[in-house]
Amino acid sequence: MPYGLLAPEIAVTSLGLVVLGVGLLSRPRPHPAVRVLAVSGLALVLCWVALTFTRQASFFGGVYQVDSFASFFRLLFLSAALLVLLMSGRYAARFGPRLAEWYAFLLFATAGMMVMAGSGDLIALYVGLELMTVSFYVLSGYLLADARSAEAGLKYLVLGALSSAVMLFGMSLVFATARSTVFTAIAAAVAAPAPSPPALLAGIALLAAGFAFKVAAVPFHMWAPDIYQGAPTPVTAYLAVASKAAAFAALLRVFLAALPGQLPDWQPVVALLAAVTIVAGNLIALAQTDVKRLLAYSSIAQAGYLLVGLSAANPYGLRGVLFYAMLYVFANVGAFAVLTLVEVDTGGTGLDSFNGLGQRAPMLAMVMTVCLLSLAGIPPLAGFAGKFYLFAGAVQAGYLWLAFVGLLMSMVSVYYYLSVAKAMYIGPAERTAPVTVPSPARLCLWVCLAATLAIGIYPGPLSALAQVSALLP
Amino acid sequence: MSDQATIGIFLLLTLAFPAGAMAAAWLFRPAPIQSAEKRTPYECGVDTRGPSWMRFRVNYFLYALVFLAFDVETIFLYPWAVRFQALGLFAFVEMLVFIAILALGLWYAWKEGALQWY
Repeated sequence: MPYGLLAPEIAVTSLGLVVLGVGLLSRPRPHPAVRVLAVSGLALVLCWVALTFTRQASFFGGVYQVDSFASFFRLLFLSAALLVLLMSGRYAARFGPRLAEWYAFLLFATAGMMVMAGSGDLIALYVGLELMTVSFYVLSGYLLADARSAEAGLKYLVLGALSSAVMLFGMSLVFATARSTVFTAIAAAVAAPAPSPPALLAGIALLAAGFAFKVAAVPFHMWAPDIYQGAPTPVTAYLAVASKAAAFAALLRVFLAALPGQLPDWQPVVALLAAVTIVAGNLIALAQTDVKRLLAYSSIAQAGYLLVGLSAANPYGLRGVLFYAMLYVFANVGAFAVLTLVEVDTGGTGLDSFNGLGQRAPMLAMVMTVCLLSLAGIPPLAGFAGKFYLFAGAVQAGYLWLAFVGLLMSMVSVYYYLSVAKAMYIGPAERTAPVTVPSPARLCLWVCLAATLAIGIYPGPLSALAQVSALLP
Repeated sequence: MSDQATIGIFLLLTLAFPAGAMAAAWLFRPAPIQSAEKRTPYECGVDTRGPSWMRFRVNYFLYALVFLAFDVETIFLYPWAVRFQALGLFAFVEMLVFIAILALGLWYAWKEGALQWY
């Protein structure tokens, strides 16, 4: 077996262990090399994945799949982790003596996500999922002295365990009908009977509910706002971007590789979930006055857009999911990077802490505006191209109403995204001192800005990449 | 016999079992003695003294976690040791990696003071 193709997973895990070890050796103040090690290690793994993108292999009888779908998501997770590490420098000083563990947990979560994207088996998927979520339980409660962060950690632990239990029950029912946990074997076993047996339907419903929890789709979204707001801001950024993408990777794998024959059963459910999520996420976001909470609700709405692509279940929509998930990384991490810098500078995340940012830090204000407009889907930014694929897919699949709901709610979302821009440019400025931006964070901002603009103006390359990577039923 | 009938017979047996056990106990037991002790809720172990809603040392939990990690390690080591000859060098290296990761965890717990009794 070509174990070289498993190198990224092994490398990220070992990197996490090494970082943990170096952190232990250099107590109580973690050595600065820890950060350099984590960033350069991730960058190397990212290059390796990009270079071996076209190589494919199936491991352990289909339990683990390294294909272009997995590689696409590996690229996504690694880029997100790198950007979050770059932008979190100043904020991470708050973690004090636990700084090395923050890097280690971030790397372990990344390893879990990569396992999720590559898993070809329910158990492997679950192990990856738990590796990711357990790391996030710790990370969301990382600021122990902050009551909100501690609350977020505990809430995420309880609700995450609940959703994992729901998902496991769904997996057990699928296993009971298919008598296998390997996706290809499940697809072969449940393809035969024309109407799906009730146990399988119940299993699909529970799996859908479990995944809806993980991607924070309405009505399983109630955990997201509190946890996104309470968790340390870089953790929130990583949670909103990468953990969501990982849950989508697993969702696509399970529904398209293991249950393609049940498409008529799950397609309307996913479409309904998408519609409810888009409407509720955007409408509740309208009332938010805290930017962190606003971005939390916005990320709920974004999960709805991604679900539109899955419910379309055609090449256009599924390519759109991958395309949108990737550009969402740059737009959302960019917005969170600005939020992190503003929080470090002003100590708050309310809309009023953005007042006058246009004069204080024109660069930050510009990146924030561009990223938010991309999330809203304004041309010529990346979000527009992504939404175009998703909604075009829905129209092709006959879900005209869903595309209509999506378009209408995208228009609504412009309001709350622009309310941040309004505070930045015409809000009353109490402070005038410029915001200091460290150079790694500046690099992160430039990358996010450049990617958001470049993908919007010239979506061809990423679109082609998403096309070869997309799974089809 | 169909599957449903099997399940039905199982259900009936499950329902009949406690009823039968209690009926037999009622039939053969000596006349019951009433006392205050018998009316207290059943509890195994020693009677508690003072309020039971007290705080426990977190060390119990940390010890339990470390113990669990090595307990699970033992479970994995057993089948590997039994089939050692057949599994060969690859499994040996795998097991070394596994133990190394767990040892790192123990090192971390040690440094964090999990093995210290406050």
